[in-house]
Amino acid sequence: MVNLTIDGKQVTVSKTATIYEAAKEVGISIPVLCYAKKLMPYGACRFCLVQVEQMKGRLIPACTTPVSEGMVVTTISDEIKKVRKTVMEFLLVNHVLDCPVCDKGGECDLQDLAYELESTSNRFEGEKFDLPTDEVNPLIERNMNRCVLCGRCARVCDEVVGYGSYSFINRGFETKIATAYDRGLSCEFCGQCVSMCPVGAILPRPFKFKARPWQLKEVDSVCGYCGNGCTLTLGVLNNKVETIRFNDKIGVNDGNLCVRGRFGYSYVNHDERLTKPLLRKDGELVEAEWDEALQVVADGLANAQKGQGAGILSGARLTNEELFVLKQFAKTLGTQNLDHSGGECYKGVTEGLKETIGISASTGTFPQIEKANVILAIRSDFYETHPVVGMVVNQAIRRNEAKLLVLADKRGKLSKLPGAKTLLTKPGLELDILNAMARVLLDEGLAQTEGVDGIADLQAALANFSPAQVAERTGVSAEQLQAAARQLAGAKNSAILMAYGLPYQGLNKELATAAANLALLAGIPGREGSGLYLCGEKANSQGAIDLGILPQGNGMGAQAMFTAAAAGQLDALYVVGEDPLSSYPDRDRIAKALDKVPFLVVQDLFLSPTAQQADVVLPATSFAEKDGTFTNAERRIQRVRRGISSPGQARADGAILTALAGKLGSSLAFTGPAAIFAEIGKAVPAYATCSFNEIGPQGVVWGGESLQPASRKVVAVAGGSEVEGDFRLVTGSALYHSGTVSTKAKGPMAVLAEPYVELSREDAKALKVADGDLLKVAGNGVELKLKAKVGNRLPKGVLFAPYHFAEAQVNRLYKGEAVIAVKVSK
Amino acid sequence: MFKAFAKGLSITFKHMLPGHSTTVQYPSVKLKPSDRFRGLHRLVPSQDREKCVACYLCPTVCPAKCITVEAAENDKGEKYPKVYTIDLLRCIFCGYCVEACPVEAIEMTGAYELANYEREDFQFTKQRLLK
Repeated sequence: MVNLTIDGKQVTVSKTATIYEAAKEVGISIPVLCYAKKLMPYGACRFCLVQVEQMKGRLIPACTTPVSEGMVVTTISDEIKKVRKTVMEFLLVNHVLDCPVCDKGGECDLQDLAYELESTSNRFEGEKFDLPTDEVNPLIERNMNRCVLCGRCARVCDEVVGYGSYSFINRGFETKIATAYDRGLSCEFCGQCVSMCPVGAILPRPFKFKARPWQLKEVDSVCGYCGNGCTLTLGVLNNKVETIRFNDKIGVNDGNLCVRGRFGYSYVNHDERLTKPLLRKDGELVEAEWDEALQVVADGLANAQKGQGAGILSGARLTNEELFVLKQFAKTLGTQNLDHSGGECYKGVTEGLKETIGISASTGTFPQIEKANVILAIRSDFYETHPVVGMVVNQAIRRNEAKLLVLADKRGKLSKLPGAKTLLTKPGLELDILNAMARVLLDEGLAQTEGVDGIADLQAALANFSPAQVAERTGVSAEQLQAAARQLAGAKNSAILMAYGLPYQGLNKELATAAANLALLAGIPGREGSGLYLCGEKANSQGAIDLGILPQGNGMGAQAMFTAAAAGQLDALYVVGEDPLSSYPDRDRIAKALDKVPFLVVQDLFLSPTAQQADVVLPATSFAEKDGTFTNAERRIQRVRRGISSPGQARADGAILTALAGKLGSSLAFTGPAAIFAEIGKAVPAYATCSFNEIGPQGVVWGGESLQPASRKVVAVAGGSEVEGDFRLVTGSALYHSGTVSTKAKGPMAVLAEPYVELSREDAKALKVADGDLLKVAGNGVELKLKAKVGNRLPKGVLFAPYHFAEAQVNRLYKGEAVIAVKVSK
Repeated sequence: MFKAFAKGLSITFKHMLPGHSTTVQYPSVKLKPSDRFRGLHRLVPSQDREKCVACYLCPTVCPAKCITVEAAENDKGEKYPKVYTIDLLRCIFCGYCVEACPVEAIEMTGAYELANYEREDFQFTKQRLLK
């Protein structure tokens, strides 16, 4: 710790702090433009100049100067004010006076500073910039006439996102921020630069001219897309979510968001939202009143229960409170057939992790990843499913020189990060590599075997997984494999990351088990600073597992329900917040089941393909319209807050379920989410650590920062099997989308509007296809026509198709396996 | 004392003489208000559009909250007020909107005959304000 004096106040701060940070500590604000909390000090704007007694003769930039013992700092004096005013004059020489039409007006740092410094005139004259605006992309508008060259956009894109879109070009007065060859922005559109720009040089296009910042009501909530659980601040005007506001004061994401979080909000305002319950009468879905619809549902479900039974299938985007009510409703109805998210994709957590480390959750928290020395990402798609965790990985590499190992069948964003080592395996053989790494640890005596059960069995099972054998099968060299294993074991802190979700159903349990084995041998679970992370694809995937939205007793799971329904052995299906027809593997089987089931109820935001088949459709509400909690993939329980009212007569899922339970004669009733949360605490002890109103801006992590494993047992898993054929298709998530709901949002659709199949340049050349050509992809007895996208990231013979687009019907090809052998022709 | 009375009353009687009355026979005769009078608002046109750039400063400063602005983008990519309405029933003619306007797009005219029969008639839309 270092002691210094700032404006007569005594301050004690850590020795790594800068003068600016020290001043902030005692509530003295020094004006800055180029400084940002999450970026490295830069010193571009020269507004933060201060006087330091020990460094007389010149002014010192506060944001880049570290504190030292006994420093005496003056942050404001006539001289400083004069210098700052001159800096302002320099900036305003070329700056266009656009404030009336600039959307930043009202929250512009330059505007505020000019006001504070009372800059009313300028001693210097110069030409105003007249550069064309960059409008080549649909989401981010860049107007370089307003730029003050603070470099925040270039730095955040490099330091946090790891994309590197921007750089300074030219010199002197001509200096500007530009993209490669000054061709205009074309990137992953996370919009971090938008949130960082202190002036109106980079603005969100969907929000252009929509409102002034002071008109917006700000509501802090949690993003409804992936399991990362980023906090969002909704900017609400006239009962409509108009934009997402930058807020780095709350939540786990430090103000970072991805394209979905920042631009994917518009589905909540969509015209096609369901506003009234629909009832099927004479084969047509017609609007009905709530009371009538609920009565039909209640009667239908009760009748089914008297017959062969009813099943309930939920999505993982309901709040914890709603999931709890759903479970109570299932009890009221008397059915044990309850499941969520297709029933298979989460088994890595509920079975894989449960059998090995005895818990069904990630063991660490996301901020710990930034401190990790070695990070192993299983399946490169981790960045595509959870982009903001990917940004944390990038920061770990850039700030703390972490080593990144990517184990995947294709390259992705993570593979491009500095120093990343990609173990590029043939599809479906990631398991073999994990097994081989475990074997290396055991053979070389690097493994922590103390207190771990099943070592002998594992050793026996790994007989065929020597690095040389695995290298031959997978195409990853034995040296690389060994080096990776040694790195992981030798690291002080390490993190293993893996995403799960509907498109990653195949080998999910096996991969999670193998990852847990490796983690146990490397001593990761329960170690402070290290963690094994299994991250769900949906906002509340972890909550659904915690609350046990799983088959009860002898009840059927999702797959069993569909099998039973297709065989005519299930009398009713109640689907809440899911669109199985569009997103579940094996569409044809699902379609048959939905066709056969006598009574189908769908509760959703849109008239999805599944809802079109339903007998009753109930309009539900989006995350922006309800109160409750989500549990993210690191076990953080965070508050979801209502920002707008629901369109038409749409009701929250919890309210619908309570009303339905009432029709079935239950007294299920709660005064609100706080009361339900208290009830959850009684049923799930981990949630009893706090009350609903005690959940602060940073949320509450159940189980603590490092969750201790309940058991330490390695379980042998067999290797993957190679799929024959010239081409192998893998499905997954595309960066711009999440689930199927993002296809209703304007932002993601503006960037990626169509389904596609991605292939390597080599394959494209051999097949003589170019970008945008139609390709016939045949496999599993199904042939699909998809647009080709030629890229660099796939190895030869591997195809990739995202699963988000219902109309593409990729899930007819994909029946839940890890890899699909396909034939490709033009 | 009589002298003082006469002096005072002479002023009074002077007003009774023709041509000395301050009363104006409204509505047949109308006074021209001062240039600084704050009457009905007017949106100032420029060559092909209104001068207003929809910066939202007037609805923000308006103490009576009588101005509604909705901004939009025109074909040239400029910001313009798609909607600009003043609810004259709420307006208190304080002139803060004129003061706040950064582009001198709104001014107050001498029009003071603002009575009307229907409530809707007091909604001055952009078209009416541009006249």
